[in-house]
Amino acid sequence: MLKNYIKIAWRNIWNNKGYTFLNIFGLAIGITCAALILLWIDNEMSYNEYFADYEDIYTIKNTQTYGDETFVFEATPGPLAELMRNEIPGIGNVSRSASSESLFSHEEKNIHQTGKYVEPEFFEIFELKFIQGDPSTAFHDLHSIVVTESMARKFFGSGDVLNKTLRLNQGQSYVITAVIEDLPENISPRFRFSWLSPFKNYENANEWLQGWNNAIQTYVKPEANADIVSLNETLYGFIQTKLEDSESHLSLYPMDRWRLYNEFDKNGLEKEGIFKYVRLFGIIAGIILIIACINFMNLATARSEKRAREIGVRKVLGAQRKMLIVQFLSESVLLAFLATLLSIALIYIFLPPFNDLVNKQLILDLSDPLHLGALLMITIISGIFAGSFPSYYLSSFNPVKVIKGIKSKSSSAAFIRKGLVVFQFSISIILIIATVLVYQQINHVKNRDLGYDNEGLVFLPANENIKKNFQAISNELISSGAANELSLSGHTPVNIGSNGGGFQWPGKDPENDVLVSMESVSPSYIKTSGMELISGQDFNPNVEANESQVIINETLAKMIDKENAVGKVITRGDSQATVRGVVKDFVYNNIFGNETSPLILYPSSQDFNHLVINIDPDKRSTAVSAIERVMEKYNPGYPTELIYADEKLEEFMSNENMVGKLAAIFAGLAIIISCLGLFGLAAFTAERRIKEIGIRKVLGASVGRITTLLSVDFMKLVLISCLIAFPLAWWFARNWLENYPYRIDISIWIFVVAGLLAFLIAFFTVSFQALKAALTNPINNLRTE
Amino acid sequence: MIKITNLEKFYKTEEVQTLALNKLSFEVKEGEFVAIMGPSGSGKSTLLNILGMLDDSDGGSFLFNGEEVSDYNERKRAHLRKHNIGFVFQSFNLIDELSVFENVELPLIYTGIKLAERKEKVHSVLEKMQIMHRRNHFPQQLSGGQQQRVAVARAVVNNPKIILADEPTGNLDSSTGNEVMDLLCELNEAGTTIVMVTHSEHDARFSHRIIRMLDGQKVTENLNVLV
Repeated sequence: MLKNYIKIAWRNIWNNKGYTFLNIFGLAIGITCAALILLWIDNEMSYNEYFADYEDIYTIKNTQTYGDETFVFEATPGPLAELMRNEIPGIGNVSRSASSESLFSHEEKNIHQTGKYVEPEFFEIFELKFIQGDPSTAFHDLHSIVVTESMARKFFGSGDVLNKTLRLNQGQSYVITAVIEDLPENISPRFRFSWLSPFKNYENANEWLQGWNNAIQTYVKPEANADIVSLNETLYGFIQTKLEDSESHLSLYPMDRWRLYNEFDKNGLEKEGIFKYVRLFGIIAGIILIIACINFMNLATARSEKRAREIGVRKVLGAQRKMLIVQFLSESVLLAFLATLLSIALIYIFLPPFNDLVNKQLILDLSDPLHLGALLMITIISGIFAGSFPSYYLSSFNPVKVIKGIKSKSSSAAFIRKGLVVFQFSISIILIIATVLVYQQINHVKNRDLGYDNEGLVFLPANENIKKNFQAISNELISSGAANELSLSGHTPVNIGSNGGGFQWPGKDPENDVLVSMESVSPSYIKTSGMELISGQDFNPNVEANESQVIINETLAKMIDKENAVGKVITRGDSQATVRGVVKDFVYNNIFGNETSPLILYPSSQDFNHLVINIDPDKRSTAVSAIERVMEKYNPGYPTELIYADEKLEEFMSNENMVGKLAAIFAGLAIIISCLGLFGLAAFTAERRIKEIGIRKVLGASVGRITTLLSVDFMKLVLISCLIAFPLAWWFARNWLENYPYRIDISIWIFVVAGLLAFLIAFFTVSFQALKAALTNPINNLRTE
Repeated sequence: MIKITNLEKFYKTEEVQTLALNKLSFEVKEGEFVAIMGPSGSGKSTLLNILGMLDDSDGGSFLFNGEEVSDYNERKRAHLRKHNIGFVFQSFNLIDELSVFENVELPLIYTGIKLAERKEKVHSVLEKMQIMHRRNHFPQQLSGGQQQRVAVARAVVNNPKIILADEPTGNLDSSTGNEVMDLLCELNEAGTTIVMVTHSEHDARFSHRIIRMLDGQKVTENLNVLV
């Protein structure tokens, strides 16, 4: 029986090539899209699985509340790890970790590499695959280093690298004691590393680690039988047992949530991170597949008249309804299989650009049972789904009527068909609106006044050479016209990563602690960054003259004294400083935020990590080569890897950029698939009404009139789609924009443009068929009847 | 074999109710060849559809082999139909996507007969109908007469007890039509009961008995003196 079904299915597919092409092509696009998204989802869901026991590995999170806002950090104090080991039973393995991007040198090669200073227990927590050396001897000496295979290759090519040395930051040499396998791509980005070195090195270089500053990460793998709930209870008040007034409350945060969640709201509660995109794209991929399946449904039911007789005959010959249902389902599943074959080719073609888009190295591996199984599942599900309504509908035909050639007026099928077209176009319109909206929002943020000269700023990691020669570098670049101004700072204004509480000023409620960002700057910082001083004075060019003076931002100034904060004294513990000036609020850390967090810019002579250079953005290339020349002179041996402020800002919008691009692709696919379906439906309508068209033409109807006659019904459907899509899109848009305090207003023009676009595309699709029908010689059509 | 008593059938639209069969009663014995005649709209086809269990009656009794079938559900009727009844239509109703062999094979597939037996039965019936040489052709490649032969072959392949023929020669020229009528007569002589709806007095003459209908009622019932 099945053989008979497949045979007739195959002949039907073969005899109706145009129709088959529309179905297979549409379905193949849908399956390709779903498969690419599933590959992406699979990758996102598999983050950190590389490490055995990744579900039992934790990082320590630090929760602090200031006023009515709670912050969750991953930063912990230096003494914590040892205290935990000694005092918390069941805590298991604990390792401190500090990330560092450092310059490594071997002969002529100088390359920056990101790595971690960790304790030996790190190897107990994270099971790494050692290619050379082993974990027990890896940290035998203080100046030992474990490198990844690709880092080893960068410096030494192939071959044995054990006991070879690398110079760190042009100073101390480190001996390679082990080589580990490269970490795969699906590891949390902030955790990734190319080298590991004993934490002691970091501790020796940073005395402040003896104190309680929250600055390093602490990783934990509790004992197998440990009760995580009770460990968390202990950790919650652990810091307070050492430091009574501390705001810090610690907790274990499992590695399997680092990727998909790892974002926290104002109450310190975990919220979805990447996971919300995983879900969103999963839903959209499903919808695209549904849109493709709808084409099949619509074309199959529209063509039903052609197959009605066959169905009638089969019923007369004893076919029961369920047999016919199975027959039509096997047809749609066969078609889905053909679509899948095409989509496998499409996946291979579109995987590289898709990988560029999502910034991954996804591969389709048909020998992987998971991939093959998923593809088969998509095929069967979409085949059955696509065939469900047609098989139900077609098998319901009354044999007496169809054999007699009585055309059933089946208004229900036509109604459902129209409904499905409306669904397709509603989705397409929503996706068009989403695309426009996301791009508008991204542009809105890109073009916002950040309060500093975003386009003119470039940064360079500041090492000792640069700090030492700052004045000379500055003089040379300014006098040559390559730079307008230079300064040194702890961070870039894009991302200020240092903050703390415990600040007091006259009139402040001592109980209400405020979290204040702190940035160390050289005297020319305000001028270099292009920030605007709104009251008081800029720093004195003479560093000493600025002692115990700070410049604060507008937000902090308003907290201290709404009228005039200049001259007020801020204290923190034993130290105090006078407000010298107030800088207009500039946007830092949260470029989507509307409110600026309080900030102190304090003068320093040492605490710098960045050289900030203000250049003329129009002369960027000449400025860059001038900077490179000067750096070669004052900072020889170090690569000049400039960081552009505007590019750094883009990184903050990487998720939004990805959503924007994917939304555009999805919108494009949805509209293409919908139009394929519409094209087919229009063809059938024209075919069905061919006699009517002939008669109308004989009676004098113009081509234009007939084209309009055939198109107008479809255009009505697009209009209804707009009416459904607009409020839904508005609702989605409003919800999405709520994530961004600094956001666009939803403009009515987005809706007008999306509606018009859908209308035009649909019109061109339909009118092609309508025009073709209208242009045929009526006599031909009338004769065939 | 068939006994209908006071059979009724209405067709309703929003405005009018048409009485297609009006308390119709007659009997067809096993081995008979009965022709049903009447003008368009007299209820002939409606009657044939009900006899073929493709349609329900709205009243009266329908005994098939002594069993009351008017209240059978779709599944039971399909079962009874595929084992006992063969159909021949005016417009042949062959499935275009299937070859001659496959068209004839179809009823056997639905009765669940194994492949080897199917092959044998189809071949034997195609031989009998003298279209064996056309077994791999598709309906569009055949003449009208050949198509109707295939349709008859399909109707008899399952050895039905009764063949219901709805104007079997309506789409054929007279000589081809005669061939088909001869075929039906042969089947009848071999023991198959035949009920045939026709407009053609010529064709009706091949039957044993002619039932004439008007407005859903039987007007006359004559033994065919010519036979």
